[in-house]
Amino acid sequence: MTSASSPATRIELPRILGAIRPRARWTETSLIAIVAVALVVGSVSLSLGVTGRLAPFDPRGLAIYVAALVLAHVGQVLAGRRSDEILLPVVGLLGGLSLLLMERLPQDLVTLDIGETQLGLGDVQLVWLVLAIAVATILGITVRSDSWLRRYKYTWAASGIALLLLTFVFGSDVAGQRLTLRLGPISGQPSELLKVILVVFLAGYLSENRPLLIEQDTRLGPIRLPPLPYLAPMVAMWAIALGIVVIQRDLGAALLFFAVFLALTYAATGRLSLVAIGSVLFFAGSALMASLFDHVRDRVDIWLDPFADPLGTGYQIVQSLHAFARGGLLGTGLGEGLPIVGGRLPIPEVHTDFPLAALGEELGLVGVIAILGLFFVVIERGLRIGASAADDFRAILATGLALVVGVQAFIIAAGNLKVLPLTGVTLPFISYGGSSLLVNAIVVGLLLALSDRGVEPPPPPTDVRRWRDRLRRRAAR
Amino acid sequence: MDGMLVVIWAVRLLFLALLYIFLARVVRSLLRDLRAAAREPGATLGRLLVIESPGGDPEQGRSFDLDAITTLGRDVNNAIVVEDPFASAEHAVLTYRGRSWYVEDLGSTNGTYVNGRVVATVSPLGFGDEVSIGQVRLRLERARLT
Amino acid sequence: MIATSGRRRPLGRTIVHVAIVLALSFGVLAGAGGYWAVLRSDELARSPYDPGVIAASRTVPRGRIVDRHGTTLARNEKDANGELYRVYRGTAASQVVGYASTRFGRAGLELAYDAELSGLAGDPFADALRKFGSNPYDPKDMQLALSWDLQRAAIRALGDRRGAVVMLDPRNGEVLALASTPVYDSSAIANPATSEAAFEVLRRDEDQPLLPRATLGRYVPGSVFKIVTAIAGLGSGAISSATTYKEQPAAEKNGLLVQGFRVRDGHHPETGNRPLDFVEATEVSCNIWFALTGLRTGGEELVDYAGRLGFGAPIPFDLPTAASQVTNGSGNAPGGFVDDVELANAAYGQGETFVTPLQMALVASTVANRGELMRPRLVTALIGRNGTRQIGAQSLRRVIDPADAAAISEAMTRAVEGDLGRRFTTGAKIPGITTAGKSGTAELGGRGEPHSWFIGFAPAERPTIAIAVLVEQAGRGAEVAAPIAGDLMAQHLESGG
Repeated sequence: MTSASSPATRIELPRILGAIRPRARWTETSLIAIVAVALVVGSVSLSLGVTGRLAPFDPRGLAIYVAALVLAHVGQVLAGRRSDEILLPVVGLLGGLSLLLMERLPQDLVTLDIGETQLGLGDVQLVWLVLAIAVATILGITVRSDSWLRRYKYTWAASGIALLLLTFVFGSDVAGQRLTLRLGPISGQPSELLKVILVVFLAGYLSENRPLLIEQDTRLGPIRLPPLPYLAPMVAMWAIALGIVVIQRDLGAALLFFAVFLALTYAATGRLSLVAIGSVLFFAGSALMASLFDHVRDRVDIWLDPFADPLGTGYQIVQSLHAFARGGLLGTGLGEGLPIVGGRLPIPEVHTDFPLAALGEELGLVGVIAILGLFFVVIERGLRIGASAADDFRAILATGLALVVGVQAFIIAAGNLKVLPLTGVTLPFISYGGSSLLVNAIVVGLLLALSDRGVEPPPPPTDVRRWRDRLRRRAAR
Repeated sequence: MDGMLVVIWAVRLLFLALLYIFLARVVRSLLRDLRAAAREPGATLGRLLVIESPGGDPEQGRSFDLDAITTLGRDVNNAIVVEDPFASAEHAVLTYRGRSWYVEDLGSTNGTYVNGRVVATVSPLGFGDEVSIGQVRLRLERARLT
Repeated sequence: MIATSGRRRPLGRTIVHVAIVLALSFGVLAGAGGYWAVLRSDELARSPYDPGVIAASRTVPRGRIVDRHGTTLARNEKDANGELYRVYRGTAASQVVGYASTRFGRAGLELAYDAELSGLAGDPFADALRKFGSNPYDPKDMQLALSWDLQRAAIRALGDRRGAVVMLDPRNGEVLALASTPVYDSSAIANPATSEAAFEVLRRDEDQPLLPRATLGRYVPGSVFKIVTAIAGLGSGAISSATTYKEQPAAEKNGLLVQGFRVRDGHHPETGNRPLDFVEATEVSCNIWFALTGLRTGGEELVDYAGRLGFGAPIPFDLPTAASQVTNGSGNAPGGFVDDVELANAAYGQGETFVTPLQMALVASTVANRGELMRPRLVTALIGRNGTRQIGAQSLRRVIDPADAAAISEAMTRAVEGDLGRRFTTGAKIPGITTAGKSGTAELGGRGEPHSWFIGFAPAERPTIAIAVLVEQAGRGAEVAAPIAGDLMAQHLESGG
């Protein structure tokens, strides 16, 4: 990711953002160009499938979106930071696929009234996408210091839990799950934001106590465990979060939190014993929940054999699998899949829970693998940023952010494909949903900011001093 | 197979192809990036070269790759073990923050010297500067590029 | 970053581990995608639950079904919404052709050949190419061996009695009539306007009109089973045409004692005290003779030869069939019989023997075809956009050699044409044509009137038609089943068949 010869054309702008020094980002430029061409071709393909005309399907929406991407790119160039050049185009392509899908679905799945006009599914998603790109770009450009993240970890954790409790008490029930908070016309899912907040907390805590967690042991017979007193606050935070999430019946989020927690702790300490114990606890916990809660057991039963009741409880997942089957290798073509039976789409909640199935039907296995590849690129970029970060906090934070996106994508894709039971998490950047898009945009923005190789150096050696004290105490024993 | 059908299929295949062209381009960047990173182990970090070591431990001429936090001292738990009678158990620590190196004395008996001058607090260290721990002199160097 | 003390692993390496785990996980996802989109693709995309299939069935015209002379048996019509539904000719072929209803799914041939009729299946190569065509569906028209005239005549002959008629060409296995009564109105089920009401009525009908008795009904065969015994006896060499039993005439009066059980007969006093040979025993349908033959042949050989005829397993056919049995196999004696008593009873068609009318028609057809069993066939051709696929005759196996078959044929001819035989098979004889056959009166042990059976073929020298007729609980075979068989065979031969 070396930039080409960068002409230092100094542009004198007001010093709000500091000195502006544009830096070329040719890799990003070429990728954005490919994205733009691909989306135009995709739009034409969609139009051919739906109306038979050889023209872009929604030229206005397409133009707005591509313009937003180009603007974001120009913004990054002007900002001149040496941040990652691949994240924005990849996310842009995923968002573009989302836009094509939302335009293709019946527009009345979601309506938003703004004064006189009513916006349909495609337009609403476009608005959120543009907002998301803006948020990600702005964060990527402006965030230069991470002290606000790393210093107040317990505050972050507390605010996250508070947010969750707020939802639990004041939230509105949607399909048996109390996940949404409504503020006037806007509704969002705070659990989406919670996962980012808790990753920030974990990053702070793990990076600070990392040497201890690695070196010290609690002996449990022949097994060496990390020092339990130091794990305790962390585990407690997570347990509370998980508990609340489970009470809210958001099993997908619970799985996500747990997986990210385990992965980050392993990444920070390298101790497999932790992973092993964590996995055992997870399976034990799942078994317990399955036996205690009917709705969990039902989900597992449906997952194991959805064809036992293809018209009843297994309907969603059966329809999803049928969609992949109809798609085959190359798909039916954008706009030509999803046969309407009885006036309705065959897959329920296709814009939130099953976008991968819809894309699988219309773009085929080839398309699905490309999409999975795109998600993996996002993960790889995030992990890369983590691996080459300047210090432990940034490393763990970047890793955690990458995991939050990647593991969530895995969970819902696995649910669509019957690899895991179906859960209600969204497919990042592709599912419909403002809160999902915005939170993932925050993640991408933070990753972009973290990837800048010229960021402010890590804070003064308070860490070193504390660590040194601990070593001394240990030696004195 | 009429003409329209050919067009439809061509556009569909072109779209799928473009997705993979994008991925290929990304992968190419990733590989280039990986290769560059492999060429520079711990790319942003440096080395400590032993200039003078009367005790022989560490050996003169030996080069240590540096961590973000590297401890020096007589105690075996240090990253760089300095076996010298004038070195303390925990003598000094070298940290890399942002784009600079810093050295800090950990309260050693005989003090830590940078280019001959004793350091009291956290001091920045540049490439080429010499650090003295007891009788051992070490110089901060850039990381090797192989 | 290098490892320093002991177990401390650098952050970079653990992150790489996490990346590897995630890469493998996504690989699993790709594999799952391949599993559903490629491996299970055909099965799911053609299942009746698939919305694509459902949507297509409402817009893509289903293939027509025609009989051997081209008479349309099933066609499509548009309803008020412009959606297609099926219309069937009459009711005579309802259990054969079945129905295709958007509400109640499919039955009969509409079910068995659903993929071909709806246009989803074909051979894999044509399928792969068809995907690139503008219309991916290629519904096939289906031609049957069935003769609508014969089918209708069979239903009429059965009248309002419950029963079945199977007529097939012994030379090639083509099924010309496969009638089961009572019939039902398949058009009423296929028509969306009337389907619910019609189905409800049918479900409640105690006569079970939806049951295709010809293929799925299992009945006690009575004397028609003696042909199977003959096949087993002659084929295994246990007996010959000349075999007689000296104890047989005496047993006519007192019954045959088999392990304490008395096999009774006595319905042919005309033969007096003369021991009968095979042909004579067949002509008068002598229970004693056949019981003795069964005992001499042995349970194992009897079951074995019956198996060669198709017993013991569903018959390979275009429609689902039930398996006929000689015994239920729970015994320890050879062949699965409990003891000799059961074997003796089975040999003349009582006991734990249950047969389907189709199976008995195949027995007749095997004898008619000089001992070679042909696979029964309803569908003879599938006509699609890219050409016609003929489904030809297929021999299942040789059951007995032609000499034995000729002997049985002679015996069956005598059973219809002979002076004594005529009394037991009244009405079966076709004027001017040598007819062969065997009637049966299947006793139900006091649970009502016996079933009336007849199996046969004509002309005896070079048979072109074989038949099995069953009328439930209608009394003696000669009185009901035999005349029906004779009439139908006559009609077929007269019309040039």
